[in-house]
Amino acid sequence: MRRKLTALVASLLLAAPLLTSGSAALAQNGPLRIEITDGVIEPLPYAVPDFLAETPAAADLANQITRVIAADLNGTGLFREVPATAHISTVSDFNAPVKFADWKAVNAQALITGAVSVNGKQLTVRFRGYDVFADKELGAGLQFSGTTDGWRRMAHKVADAIYSRITGESGYFDSRVVFVSETGPKNDRRKRLAIMDYDGAEVQYLTNSAALVLAPRFSPTGDRVLYTSYESGFPQIHVLDVGKVQRRVLSADNGIMSFAPRFAPDGKMVVYSQAEGGNTDLYTMDIATGSRTRLTNAPSIETAPSYSPDGSQIVFESDRSGSPQLYVMAASGGEARRISFGKGRYGTPVWSPRGDLIAFTKQNKGRFHIGVMRVDGSEERLLTASFLDEGPTWSPNGRVIMFTRETQGANGRALLYSVDILGRNLKPVRTPDGASDPAWSPLQQ
Amino acid sequence: MQTGTKISLAAHGFLVSWAALGGWFSSEPLPIKVQEVAVISAAEFAKLSQQTQAPDVSETPSSLAAPDPAPEPPEVSMRPADRPDVTPPESTAIPEVEAPVPAEPQPEPEPEVSDSLPDPVVPPETAEPLPPLPDTTEPEALRPADRVAPVPVEAPEPEVALDDLVQPEVSPDAGAEIAQEVQEATAPEAASDRIVTEANESDEAEPAPPVTAPVTSVRPKTRPRRPTPTPEPATEVAETTPEAPEDEAQSSAIEDALAAAIAGGGEVAAPEPSGPPLTLGEKEALRVSVSKCWNVGSLSSEALKTTVEVAVSLERDGRPKVGTIRMVSSTGGSSGAARQAYESARRAIIRCGSDGFQLPGDKYDHWRDIVMTFNPEKMRIK
Repeated sequence: MRRKLTALVASLLLAAPLLTSGSAALAQNGPLRIEITDGVIEPLPYAVPDFLAETPAAADLANQITRVIAADLNGTGLFREVPATAHISTVSDFNAPVKFADWKAVNAQALITGAVSVNGKQLTVRFRGYDVFADKELGAGLQFSGTTDGWRRMAHKVADAIYSRITGESGYFDSRVVFVSETGPKNDRRKRLAIMDYDGAEVQYLTNSAALVLAPRFSPTGDRVLYTSYESGFPQIHVLDVGKVQRRVLSADNGIMSFAPRFAPDGKMVVYSQAEGGNTDLYTMDIATGSRTRLTNAPSIETAPSYSPDGSQIVFESDRSGSPQLYVMAASGGEARRISFGKGRYGTPVWSPRGDLIAFTKQNKGRFHIGVMRVDGSEERLLTASFLDEGPTWSPNGRVIMFTRETQGANGRALLYSVDILGRNLKPVRTPDGASDPAWSPLQQ
Repeated sequence: MQTGTKISLAAHGFLVSWAALGGWFSSEPLPIKVQEVAVISAAEFAKLSQQTQAPDVSETPSSLAAPDPAPEPPEVSMRPADRPDVTPPESTAIPEVEAPVPAEPQPEPEPEVSDSLPDPVVPPETAEPLPPLPDTTEPEALRPADRVAPVPVEAPEPEVALDDLVQPEVSPDAGAEIAQEVQEATAPEAASDRIVTEANESDEAEPAPPVTAPVTSVRPKTRPRRPTPTPEPATEVAETTPEAPEDEAQSSAIEDALAAAIAGGGEVAAPEPSGPPLTLGEKEALRVSVSKCWNVGSLSSEALKTTVEVAVSLERDGRPKVGTIRMVSSTGGSSGAARQAYESARRAIIRCGSDGFQLPGDKYDHWRDIVMTFNPEKMRIK
């Protein structure tokens, strides 16, 4: 009994310091500290009252520019416009102080104000952005000047600036998309190259439908387009000057099929596939001199090459393992390492402008997907699923992917869709006819 | 005694014993078959025997009586009654009608395109009215909710307007003595707790297994302050100082320095809070109330990798002093990304604190100064 009592007393004595330190830990030392790890992901509410028309001739344009800005921001899925009917304040003077309380009351977290003036053909757009809950401007106000013909581009530039100031990354609204316009039934489809603003406006056709055209790709500066044409009866690579609408054949070897071209980041080299003697391999070509370099030499099919943004590596599609998979190798050729290991077939890889992701088409269990993975093949994420999705292309800021979606059946039609890299905000892109093979330009200068 | 005699005696003894005792070891009786019999009379036996005799068969068959006439079957038509009476059409002369001669198929015109290439792309001379952009928002069926929140809320009724406040619909009552203002029913927007892409929609249909793991863990308490060491001669301190300082001591020093910096650097330090500290529940309520307003949806991917520590001082009514909100530190991203992350954190504190955080007034000294760590790691992987 005495031994038990002794043990109890001893254990209490040993535990006493621990209990003392525990109660001391409960006492607060310094400011209260909390950690927030759960937030919400929802569109940021903002208000954009109609830009002020500072001249009578600017009345219509002021409204139209405001609407294009709102459509740009709303279309990202990251912003939600507070409707004008909910506004408490009106902006009657571009330089007057903003009544932040009125905009807080309608839960507008950002505010965009602007003014438009037209003098002859000269158009001037001024704007300011505000962080309503911080009671301060979002950066300095800006002014764009140009001709009235370019009012849409000015609206896109304002939206790009607002987007950049709020999200911290560059926008993608002042950009264009080249694609293959498709008309006619499935068994007699006519294809021609077309170019439009990223949002489907201002469509212009670059070729006629006399010859089949495929896979247009922008140059890094957006002034030229590479594409594959069957004008001579077999596929050949053409390069087209967008401004002058002048084109020339880049690979003119009779009997040799060349296709799937893509510019190097420096705009001087082109990587492409060449089929010769029943075997398809990757080559590069110096546009100025026409000199070629063979990158791969395998009995399998190597195609769909795409440069990394720094130009040091190339991701491509190959069936050397028995089924189409994705591989990465040095831009000068050499040993390639496989990066796709999931179930299904992978194709049409495209390196992100940010350099951190690769978009691809995947076919598995009778469904097509657009997906992204890291450049080492990890963290594969499928963003879409349908009867036929293919041909991804990145927005200039690497946040959005545009691709072709074709519907099933004899009356099936190809259309362009876009989705962000998290798989959200999936939506069709407006085109006048069927459309496929989109390629997104860089931001216009 | 000779062997033969012995054998004979034994055999005879056995024989005599068997004869004498054999009746005692009677074997079991064999099973007996029992046949049940019944006693019948002679008349019954005669009757049974009579049936076995063959009947007399006449040489000529007798004529059978005609059976009763069967009831007349209903008259059944060979055609269904509802079948139309189809009569072959009389051959009539086919009127000569001039069939329209189909026009020869014209090749599909190619608008806007000729053999020659179009003019270079130039902006139009005059601005045309902007056609209304199509509503390109994805049908709701493809997404459970546009809003991704840590805690999903029930979807509001379709006719309910979306608002941060939940309020019932109020319609004027004709019989009421006090006229009430018409009020539209509002409810918060439905939210999901994850991003559902088109590719994993089918997976989302299956209910997720219940999560039993703890959602949050209590932040480790800061190390208690050490008692101020008694000043000793420098030589003795040098002797007692360990060669490699412990990590805990370093972190404690950093914590102390950070607390001193937040409290105003070289200014007079705020008095130590007295009384009981905030309970875990009170801290959790504050954390949740800030989380509801922390919107990371518009942050760049780099900002989503940036953790920021934001310090704020609160009024006694729980409202933040906007001027005191400042970024203490940031980790994981560039200065630009940290600024974006800080701005979103700042908006969260101001928005959700505009009506005052619900904190116990008697513990004001404990929550007057707060350092909030905004860690978007969990939001990045959703």
